Amino acid sequence: MGKQEDPKTVTRREVLKLAGTAAAFCTSFGFLHGGQTGGAVQGKHLGMNVNKELQLKWQRAEIKWYSGSEVLFSAPFPAKVLKHLQSDEMAAVEIKLFRTGQLLKNLGTIQAKH
Amino acid sequence: MAGPHEVLGMSRVLGIGTTEFLARYADNGGTTLRSEADGRCVFLTSSGCRVHPRRPLVCRLYPLGRSTNERGEERFALFPPQAECEAVAGRDGTIETFLGPQGVGPYFVWSRRYGELYRRMMGLLDRLDIEGKIDVPSADTPAEAAQAGSGSAGSGQEPDRAPLSSWQDVDASLAEYCAAKEIAMPTEIDDTIALHLRAMEEWLDDLESRLGEDQNDPKGAPES
Repeated sequence: MGKQEDPKTVTRREVLKLAGTAAAFCTSFGFLHGGQTGGAVQGKHLGMNVNKELQLKWQRAEIKWYSGSEVLFSAPFPAKVLKHLQSDEMAAVEIKLFRTGQLLKNLGTIQAKH
Repeated sequence: MAGPHEVLGMSRVLGIGTTEFLARYADNGGTTLRSEADGRCVFLTSSGCRVHPRRPLVCRLYPLGRSTNERGEERFALFPPQAECEAVAGRDGTIETFLGPQGVGPYFVWSRRYGELYRRMMGLLDRLDIEGKIDVPSADTPAEAAQAGSGSAGSGQEPDRAPLSSWQDVDASLAEYCAAKEIAMPTEIDDTIALHLRAMEEWLDDLESRLGEDQNDPKGAPES
């Protein structure tokens, strides 16, 4: 397949279909990915990554908001952020409140290695 | 768990299409079979399994579980005994003698082939995230986007039961593929699975070609 002239793009619909198909196959076949143990796919994909040892430590990070013991919101970190965290470099997380683009308050910054 | 090829096989035993099968018997985004209120498989009857000739791999393996590593090496494990299971299990045989009559060979091959596609999908998703090559044209409305993730549009299924991907519905996805290619739909199950794999490969070829070459190219990695 020859390269097309840039920019090469895919539509959001195609990305959704791709992600949905991958998720369906993951569940249907029991395929694993990243730092999970076992599975036919895991090792092959890890082979592409430089930080193999670090990826084996953990493979998912989540951010959660609580009200008491109730989880109000939970979301996994995007893969791009995950890769940065797994690089073992210093990472910073800021929690800021905005209104119409104006910063109202900075609730704090967390800096740490992972 | 039920892959698209297994859904296809079971649907043929029941004499229905995969679209109807997914609507009636699948759960969790079309990835698992429904259970009765007491936890029994929806196909288990007093006289046995309704889809036994084309039962999924996980049923053929039970009470064994199977995993393979990156070198294709197999490992088997024994599930803990289930009190309600009436199967008689002995310990005198070997894995080989147990699997022999189960007809698992083609299912291992299909799992490996679909696994290769899965690996390519994950490689593409990684690259999309890193390179930010997602285009959002104005015509690509949220409604259209939502539809892209659902296979059986208009099936009226509950959101958690509708297939996560149109590729899970082999009949519908191949009907579209064959119409576009102006070829006849295969009638035999094995031929249908082979064409489904080919159609998915072409779909991924197209996506990969539009994203350019991948320096890490997961597609070319050997299976073993």
